Amino acid sequence: MNASAVKDPAAAAAEAPGILDKSVKELRALGDARHLSLNDAEWAVIQGHFKGLKREPTLAELETLAQTWSEHCKHKTFTSPIRLTEGKKTRVIKNLFQETIVAATQAVKKPWCLSVFDDNAGVVAFGKKWALAFKAETHNHPSALEPYGGSETGVGGVVRDVLGCGLGAKPVLNTDVFCFGRPDYKGPLPEGAHHPNRTMRGVVAGVRDYGNRMGIPTAGGGLWFDDDYRLNPLVFCGTVGLIPQWAVDKEVKPGDFIVAVGGKTGRDGLHGATFSSANLGEDAPTSAVQIGHAIAEKRVLDALLRARERKLYRSVTDCGAGGFSSAVGELGAAGARVSLENAPLKVSDLDSWEIWLSESQERMVLAVPPKNLKALQAVFAAEGCETAVLGEFTKTGRLVVEHRGRPVVDLDMQFLHKGLPRVEREAVWNAPAPAKPSGGAEKKASLVLREAVADLNVCSREWVIRQYDHEVQGGTVIKPLQGVRHDGPGDACVIWPQAATGDMDDHMGFSVAHGLNPDYGRLDPYWMAMAVVDEALRNLTCVGADPSRAALLDNFCWASPADPKQLGALVRAAEGCRDAAKGFGAPFISGKDSLYNQSKDEKGRELPIPGTLLISAISTVPDARKAVTMDFKGPGNALYLIGRTNDELGGSLYHKILGRSGGEVPKVSPACALEGFKSLHAAINRGLVLSAHDLSEGGLAVTAVEMGFSGEFGCLIDLDEMARDPRIYSNETLLFSESPSRILVEVSPESESAFLRHFGKGAKAAAVRRVGQTTANPILKVVGLDGSVVMEEPLRELKEAWQKTLPAVLG
Amino acid sequence: MNVRVQPTSTHNIEVRLRPEHSDAEGAAALALLVAQGMPSLREARVSRVYEVKGPISAGQVLQATKDLLCDAVTQEYRVLAPVNPPANGMNFWRVEVWLKPTVTDPVGETVRDAIADMGLPRPDSVRCAMVYRLCGRSNKPQLEKAVSKCLANPLIHRAVVTEAQP
Repeated sequence: MNASAVKDPAAAAAEAPGILDKSVKELRALGDARHLSLNDAEWAVIQGHFKGLKREPTLAELETLAQTWSEHCKHKTFTSPIRLTEGKKTRVIKNLFQETIVAATQAVKKPWCLSVFDDNAGVVAFGKKWALAFKAETHNHPSALEPYGGSETGVGGVVRDVLGCGLGAKPVLNTDVFCFGRPDYKGPLPEGAHHPNRTMRGVVAGVRDYGNRMGIPTAGGGLWFDDDYRLNPLVFCGTVGLIPQWAVDKEVKPGDFIVAVGGKTGRDGLHGATFSSANLGEDAPTSAVQIGHAIAEKRVLDALLRARERKLYRSVTDCGAGGFSSAVGELGAAGARVSLENAPLKVSDLDSWEIWLSESQERMVLAVPPKNLKALQAVFAAEGCETAVLGEFTKTGRLVVEHRGRPVVDLDMQFLHKGLPRVEREAVWNAPAPAKPSGGAEKKASLVLREAVADLNVCSREWVIRQYDHEVQGGTVIKPLQGVRHDGPGDACVIWPQAATGDMDDHMGFSVAHGLNPDYGRLDPYWMAMAVVDEALRNLTCVGADPSRAALLDNFCWASPADPKQLGALVRAAEGCRDAAKGFGAPFISGKDSLYNQSKDEKGRELPIPGTLLISAISTVPDARKAVTMDFKGPGNALYLIGRTNDELGGSLYHKILGRSGGEVPKVSPACALEGFKSLHAAINRGLVLSAHDLSEGGLAVTAVEMGFSGEFGCLIDLDEMARDPRIYSNETLLFSESPSRILVEVSPESESAFLRHFGKGAKAAAVRRVGQTTANPILKVVGLDGSVVMEEPLRELKEAWQKTLPAVLG
Repeated sequence: MNVRVQPTSTHNIEVRLRPEHSDAEGAAALALLVAQGMPSLREARVSRVYEVKGPISAGQVLQATKDLLCDAVTQEYRVLAPVNPPANGMNFWRVEVWLKPTVTDPVGETVRDAIADMGLPRPDSVRCAMVYRLCGRSNKPQLEKAVSKCLANPLIHRAVVTEAQP
């Protein structure tokens, strides 16, 4: 497409909406009509700024400000002051992000954190020469409207984040975590909303097609079902990239060319950033939804990494929300001059502001020294990838955009990036009164177990996992499905990225794991945050990753922060993150928040999602050859339970099955937990552990069943041997309590003493107890506190129940 | 390379599994439609239509179809007539699901580039549609509603339901 085909951009100036004389009400109406998502205070600042300049803003300037100041780009809720009322006390949090997530990272001071919070992804060292870039993002609103395209572009976006981190990291792993309404939901839905079944099928297909076509293994993730997600599904896409340590830093110098590479610019994806900063409703702009082009992104990836090796550019970032506007703004904080006529276009009738703001996929922006331009163009041309010089970076402190000689944007960078007014928000948190468990009816433990393994939040995820290529690149050492029939539920994957490093003699790998449990958050978001950090770390530990080298990503998905109660819960969760990170010595390296996840239901009532926090953890596996899976390896082996069991059934699967409410939400003691994790890691690293599996939803009973049917061996468990709160007299509590930090470990008889020596003085704190042994007969036999047999269940039947749930509800 | 400039024209090619092969995509589509309250549908077969526009002749499009779009062992193709023959009213339906013109069509773009890579004239555009050939008692409004619930998203797709030949 040549520039002459573009219509006269004078239209941009002519379309200047005129805001200087408008009232607050008129500005609101303008914002609503154009999906700008600006609040009154922001409108007032913009109006004041342009009154000072004695001119009206152009449409492109307004759109640029709206995108740059959107919740999506500036994380206003996390960075604005919050007045939190807790009971009768009130305190002001100046900057929630700085005081929780950043403060924790600064407190734990890990020298192996190479880049935190600055770049498109967090970066940690991986050996001496390499580093891992890790990022997880959500694509919730687009996936609610168009599940396939929304999730596809979610994967594409996070892959580009990693590609735009440092001077570019090679993606070596994709992860996916989804929260949906039940696929067999029978209730009414508002007009236009997709049924959760359709949403799930579309989202899984989108992640599958994009990841598989790009040749990136999708080997980690999770699923959570709750009907409160039926209108607002959550789609978390993550990517890990491998980058040489020399390429972690980047810089832009005045005079560098602004070069756009990859896809052409179209009308697709307009208003994506502002769209995600609003409640989802019927008037969502259709242009915010796109279909991804994985092959185009693969070409960008290949060309970019080749250009990186030749050091042909000085900096890179992806075109995400806000398109060229945010990409150029991010790179050229000191100033930039852009000429839009050089941008390759999909259609000729784009307005100037549309070219500038379009979020068309598969595009990156580079800062290229003029002397390298020809060589860079040749590298991209060889991959059939377009390049276009959009302008140059300057040191004027101004963002100047022109289109065919006419000014489109002329903004002060300081105003653009620092001018956002910080509006104090109100938050309320009332600690829930301790409530004794109530309601529901008692059920036999064996019946509860059958329901537990078949529960949607426990059952086999094979239907999803088998759609993904988790083997491509040939480095997936521990796979998502494990056991003798390759269908058991693994805790985490282990990747040996030899295809990227090219070093077959270095056996260091890495692992990625997740923690998520919104049911705990309904009782107390603080303890939910602690619990999900713990869950992510114990999953890592189970496969052999080093818990003391773990780094975390936070992804908060919440309803509208305009509701003080929602914001209060969000603050509480962020403070839980801070305390967990400090307690475990695990720094946050990156993260993201997605707010306004609420919609009007079929009766016009607001349906908020439950406050949801996904913690993604990454750590190194010193020797990937020693990584372990979760399936029992043979009969006659000892079973050790690490961690103490308390009466913590609040928010548990057991209570859900019984229809019971209240109870104590599981509480984490990071110091004790970390002691146990470290000791187990040392034992795994010495080859003393045959299998390990964490205790989460459904507690010890579900864990033992999963390990048993995956390995096709049974086990005998004596509940009286468990390290526990002495006030527990109930077998069911011991079987189904979801006390955190617990791991069931299989150890061969000859390794038992060596295994226990690893726990040494910490054995008491870590509460390591031999609770049973594996058996040849695939039956779960549990002996209760009084010595009687509580249950004796054939594992084959339990496995069938575990396997058939998801295919059955999907129909 | 000596490329003769062709006048701009539009070619529609349909590629589908040979009837002797079972159609897993069709079975999945049928299950989704039945779940949407269409129990009288008995069979669904899936094919793809490529709309190729540009300075490329019918012969060149056929060459691209044989070499690029159609697996000669399991699939067959046909050139679609500009106007469909009249339907016979025997409960055969044809549902075409196209991406709206404003939505990027990655398959179409890739096919366009691949045709050019074969040394043939580069089409101006290629768009790809999913086609569902259904058999069973139904009516058009009912079918359109069911399609919009499971096979097409009205936000990005244009679904065309017509009565069809067997």
